[in-house]
Amino acid sequence: MVSNQIILGALLVLNAALYAPLVFTVFRRRRRKVNASNLADAFNGLELALKEAVPDLPPGFTWEEAIGRLRASGVQTKGMEEALKSYEEYRYGGLPLPDLDFREVVKVANMLGGTRGVRSGGASAGR
Amino acid sequence: MRALAAEIRDKVIKEVGKVVIGREKEVDLLLMCLLARGHVLLEGVPGVSKTLVATAFSKCLGLQFKRVQFTPDILPLDIIGGFIFNLKSREFEFRKGPVFTNILLADEINRAPPKVQSALLESMQELQVTVEGHTEKLPFPFMVIATQNPLEFEGVYPLPEGQLDRFMVRVNFRYPSKEVESDILKRNLSGIDVNDVKTALTLGELEALVKQVDGVKVSDEVLTYLARVAEATRNEGSLVLGASPRAMVQLVHCARAKALLGGRRFVTPDDLKSIASDVLTHRLTIDQAAALKGVSRNPEAILTAIFDRVEPPR
Repeated sequence: MVSNQIILGALLVLNAALYAPLVFTVFRRRRRKVNASNLADAFNGLELALKEAVPDLPPGFTWEEAIGRLRASGVQTKGMEEALKSYEEYRYGGLPLPDLDFREVVKVANMLGGTRGVRSGGASAGR
Repeated sequence: MRALAAEIRDKVIKEVGKVVIGREKEVDLLLMCLLARGHVLLEGVPGVSKTLVATAFSKCLGLQFKRVQFTPDILPLDIIGGFIFNLKSREFEFRKGPVFTNILLADEINRAPPKVQSALLESMQELQVTVEGHTEKLPFPFMVIATQNPLEFEGVYPLPEGQLDRFMVRVNFRYPSKEVESDILKRNLSGIDVNDVKTALTLGELEALVKQVDGVKVSDEVLTYLARVAEATRNEGSLVLGASPRAMVQLVHCARAKALLGGRRFVTPDDLKSIASDVLTHRLTIDQAAALKGVSRNPEAILTAIFDRVEPPR
């Protein structure tokens, strides 16, 4: 005859085994931060963060539209807008990737939460 | 030069603003179109300052300006000119019509029969006029600013698709807001004089800016994005006619001018998206069968949905 205590203990262990990966995943997801090494990485991270944090943002959104949404939500975007000018020169203007402070972009991306890090590939990242 | 473009834009908007209130966006589009070597169709009900904007805009450019009131009895000869027999020399000689100018205001263009409307096609597309085998080049710059009232049905000849496609931009003149209307009323108490508008740029500056537009970079990725948008308009179920290659080329040119006026040497997806409605909607034809089933919306809504679907390079 197995005692009730053993059954309870076994159930506890089973529960822990079942829920631990779930809890771990949730915490890991929450702790994931954009880890950018340059301006392009930072904007790639921001793009992913936006897609997750603002699900009603249409797939065809542009940076200006995204910034508009953030601004409307009370997010400080001034620093990010400055960085965007340089990023666009690189992205669409064919200029070399500038060595600029991208902390403001990373800050906004991390603030949006639920990010999954950035795409690898550094300066060449992007579609 | 980039700073100069932005400076000139501000000057033009300020000068036109002396006689027209609350039409900054429309003036901006006119300037973009001029720099991109395009033509403009101004559409709106009577009394929303279409002709005044066109006149003030031409005045502040300091260019040669002619206005033709289109009527049902107008002839191609009245626009492009023709051969007249000179009694003194006893020879036929070519007499230039009002199209030989820098800015041609074709007022109420849809009141003229198709024969006259199509007489403008060659001028608008090839910047020249051919009459009986005789070809004459038009001066630089050449821009047609046409106006039409979309609500008139009696005694009008709607512009055919081919003619509409020649207009780089269609600018919709909507009623002003309450605040702007109040300002307009105040301004009109003391009278308005178009002669108050001063020249904002020289011909040399204009030529330089037009050349600068050609130097504005459009990346391959942005072009691919545009091609995907064009394809989406052609596959859209509620449209019979999507955007033509010419429409997309004009969108690129206009976006380049917008970028230059914004102080940039490259085009962003934002540039394209912000002017797409002005450049494309007049070229899209709604499927009437779909419209009857209640499937279709207006061209602006369809275009917005397409741009929302197609992912730009970021």
